Amino acid sequence: MAHQAHAYHMVDPSPWPLTGAVSALLMTSGLAIWMHFHSTTLMSLGLVLLLLTMYQWWRDIIREGTFQGHHTPPVQKGLRYGMILFITSEVFFFLGFFWAFYHSSLAPTPELGGCWPPTGITTLNPFEVPLLNTAVLLASGVTVTWAHHSIMEGQRKQALQSLALTILLGFYFTALQAMEYYEAPFTIADGVYGSTFFVATGFHGLHVIIGSTFLTVCLLRQMLHHFTSEHHFGFEAAAWYWHFVDVVWLFLYISIYWWGS
Amino acid sequence: MSVNFEEKIKKYRTAPFDARFPNTNQTRNCYQNYLDYHRCNKVLSAKNQKTTPCEWYRRVYKSLCPMAWVQKWDEQLQSGTFAGRI
Repeated sequence: MAHQAHAYHMVDPSPWPLTGAVSALLMTSGLAIWMHFHSTTLMSLGLVLLLLTMYQWWRDIIREGTFQGHHTPPVQKGLRYGMILFITSEVFFFLGFFWAFYHSSLAPTPELGGCWPPTGITTLNPFEVPLLNTAVLLASGVTVTWAHHSIMEGQRKQALQSLALTILLGFYFTALQAMEYYEAPFTIADGVYGSTFFVATGFHGLHVIIGSTFLTVCLLRQMLHHFTSEHHFGFEAAAWYWHFVDVVWLFLYISIYWWGS
Repeated sequence: MSVNFEEKIKKYRTAPFDARFPNTNQTRNCYQNYLDYHRCNKVLSAKNQKTTPCEWYRRVYKSLCPMAWVQKWDEQLQSGTFAGRI
C-alpha cells in the first residue's frame, strides 16, 4: 500500500470518543438519579468509564506520537492550537465565577447588611495561609520553567528533579487548601459569600489536581525517555496548563481573599 | 436651623430627589434612610438629646420602602438578627 503524500495524521478508527460520550451521558443522568433516588451507581459507572476512556485515549495518542512518529510539525501545530483553545475556554469558565463574585460583592444587598464581607462572616486572613499558597504556586511556576529548560538542554537528571519538585509544590498547595477548607469559620451554605468563595476556589483546586496529574504523567514519560530536547509537546501543554492554574489563583487571591476581606 | 427643619417637615409630601441615588433602583435609598433613622436615634439618645431631627429619615423611608421590608427589618431588629450596622 502507498504511503500518504501529506504530513497530516489520519487517525485510525477508535472507540474512545464513543466511550467518552457514553460516560458523559451516564455521569449526567447519574447525577439526576443521585439527586432524586439517592443512588450513586449510575454516576459512579460513568466516572469509571470516563477514567478508562481518558487513560486509553491518551495512551493511544502517546503511542501514535512518540512511538509511531505521527506527530509531524504541522500535526504538532494543530495540537498547540488545540491546547491554547482549550485553556481559553477554561479562562471563560472562571470568568463566569469571577462575574458572580463581583456582582454580589460590589453592590451588597440589605440582606447581607449592605456591606462586604457580609455581616457575620469572619474572613480568612489573606496574609496567612493564602499568602503561603501564593508563594507555593509562584515557586512551582519557576520550577516548571526550570524543568522545561532542562529538557531542552538534554539535562535528564535536572529535568526529573525540577519536575518532581513542581509536582510536590502542587501537592503542598492542595494539602494547605484542604486544611484551610476544614478549618474555615464559614461554609458553602453561608450565603452568597460562602457560595462564591467555595465554588470559585473549589473549581480552582480541582484544576490544580488536574494539572498535578498532567505533570505527573509528564514525569513518568520523562523517566521513560519519551521526550527529546526538540520535541516534548506533552510537557509544554502541561506547563501551559500549570501556568494558567497559577494565574487563576493570583486573580482569586487578589479579588476574593484580599479585596474581599 | 430648626425652624427651617420644622417648615420642611410641615411641607413634606414625599421623598425629594436624592442625588446619591440617581437611578431607577431605589433600594439603597430606602435602606440607607432606614439605617440613618435608627443610627440617628441611637446617637441622639446616647447624648440624651431630642430625637426630632431623626423624623426626616423616618418620613423618607416610610415614603420609599415597601411595608413588607420595613416590617421584616423591624422584626429583625427586635430579635437582634438585623444585618445592618446601626
